[in-house]
Amino acid sequence: MNTLVVLATLLFILMTLIGGKRGMRAFFALFLNMLVVFIMLLLMVNPSFHPLLITVISTVFIVQINLYYINGKNEKTIAAFRATMTTVLLLLGFITLVSSFGMIQGFSEEESAELIALSPFVGLDFIQIAAGVMMLSALGAMTDVSISVSTAMYEMYVHDPAIDRKRLFQSGMTIGRDILGTDTNTLFFAFFGGYLALLIWFKDLHYTFGEMINSKVFSAEIVTIFSAGIGIALVIPMTAGWTIIQLKKNKRSE
Amino acid sequence: MKVQKKVRWLFLLLLVIGSFVFVTNNASLYEQTIVRVVKEEVIATDRVVDVHDNEDTIFTQHLEGVVQNGPYRDEPIELKNDYSASGAIDHRYREGTELFVTVRTQGDTLTGMITNVKRDHLLVAIGWIFIGVLLLVGKRQGFHSLVSFSLNALVLYFALDLYIAYERVSLLAVAFGMIFLFTFISLYFVSGWSPKTFAAVLSTLVGTLLSFLVMLVVMKVTNEQGLHYEEMQFLSRPYYIVFLAGVLIGSLGAVMDVSITMASSLFELHDQHPHLTDEQLRVSGKEIGQDIMGTITSILFFAYLSGSIPMLLIYMMNRVPLGYALPMNMSLELARALAGGIGVVLTIPISLFFTLLFIRRKKVVA
Repeated sequence: MNTLVVLATLLFILMTLIGGKRGMRAFFALFLNMLVVFIMLLLMVNPSFHPLLITVISTVFIVQINLYYINGKNEKTIAAFRATMTTVLLLLGFITLVSSFGMIQGFSEEESAELIALSPFVGLDFIQIAAGVMMLSALGAMTDVSISVSTAMYEMYVHDPAIDRKRLFQSGMTIGRDILGTDTNTLFFAFFGGYLALLIWFKDLHYTFGEMINSKVFSAEIVTIFSAGIGIALVIPMTAGWTIIQLKKNKRSE
Repeated sequence: MKVQKKVRWLFLLLLVIGSFVFVTNNASLYEQTIVRVVKEEVIATDRVVDVHDNEDTIFTQHLEGVVQNGPYRDEPIELKNDYSASGAIDHRYREGTELFVTVRTQGDTLTGMITNVKRDHLLVAIGWIFIGVLLLVGKRQGFHSLVSFSLNALVLYFALDLYIAYERVSLLAVAFGMIFLFTFISLYFVSGWSPKTFAAVLSTLVGTLLSFLVMLVVMKVTNEQGLHYEEMQFLSRPYYIVFLAGVLIGSLGAVMDVSITMASSLFELHDQHPHLTDEQLRVSGKEIGQDIMGTITSILFFAYLSGSIPMLLIYMMNRVPLGYALPMNMSLELARALAGGIGVVLTIPISLFFTLLFIRRKKVVA
């Protein structure tokens, strides 16, 4: 039997057993997310489509699945959605700039063995693709931070509707700071685990420190880690801000 | 206090400036010859169509540069570079780009082959932006996560040295050692020394071990069918072990996230409402666990699966059937994500158990 099928079945059973209906829903959301990524791939192979634009559109769907489908569409999730999308756009701009200056897009010599039988001149813009990929790898974490901050702020507002806006913003930041550490950890270790093979390979070939840090793969991975950290941190003030705007609107309409 | 704060920021500013001065003037520290491009000109443009009708443009660049180090220091050099519009394996070099070059003399003029781009200043720049944003937004917690990140990176670096240096040391043993250190370091910096942290450490270790065993059993039972190690083929070591060690480390962060979130919320709940019974706490704990399992698992899915997109696109553009391209490029990443997810879900009851144990002990002592 296929290992992946067994693992996926096991995950589904465990999520249903321990998470009940919500666990099942979360598993289904994972599946939907992968479906969106797959459709994104099918669109990206058309060279006349703009890769960054396709990434942004797919991100809208992914974030909506993770926020609205799992938590329902309400003021909290709307604020979190706006905050995540603002951060996504900022991050995409930043990474595009970094990867065109730093020349870290595409594949390195280390990976090119796999490319031997394939043509690399396919007419797609790999700088944009690299930026999209780096942003996507932090997307799950950004959404997580955003929904946690907006939920907690909203709770606080419900308990004390007269709360001063400045204080509410500060509370949002405090809550965000508390989860900043754990969420960056989750990503850092995921990346460490993924890069383990590469690091061992560098060491086996006795790369000097200089050779290692200037190599394209290593730089690309460091940039991925750093921009993920930047994204997670930035989404905190964004969420605090958007939640306050949302609550203000709410007050006015009452 | 205010003065102290100013001094701290000033010190940071000096560090930033100092590091930039260093990376822009460190050419003499490199053994390879470094060339700074001073003039670039496209001398030829060539439209290419590959066998699958993909169109691309290949440009030939004539570069004039100045050698920055070594015996030819300050001498002019002429180089040639081909790059494509898509840029999957090549780059357009601009004025100011620094390149590593193998120098050749051709009559009176210097020429050579470009081997790599100097990227250290890029890393320093984005590194400072990362540090700056984390400190500005995260304040003390941001600082803590920076310290814990650096310590963990150092542990990883030296542990791998150990593994490489001693042939007989098994990678899995090294990985287990690392996991201990990673867990203690990270959780200490997230929440200090307290019974809460202790409960989280215990549940992280047990949760990681358990999910590792599950992974091991599944791989044995299924004979690893469907796992394609081709993308790790550059390794001169048994990929199976390297992959397993990667799975172990990769899911650790997520498992820690679950453990500390469960422990903090339950301890907080107990502190605010000391009269809640174990059963009531258990119900709340389950609720919290259900809240976080989906999001934490999706963090892992995105972190792992995104990375394989560029290579998949190349396969697809080369008309490789999806039935081959997908497993070839995604099977290991998907396995990592699934294993991490299993770890996350399994850790929920485990951390519930340990947290309640510590809360009960606290009650008895009090």
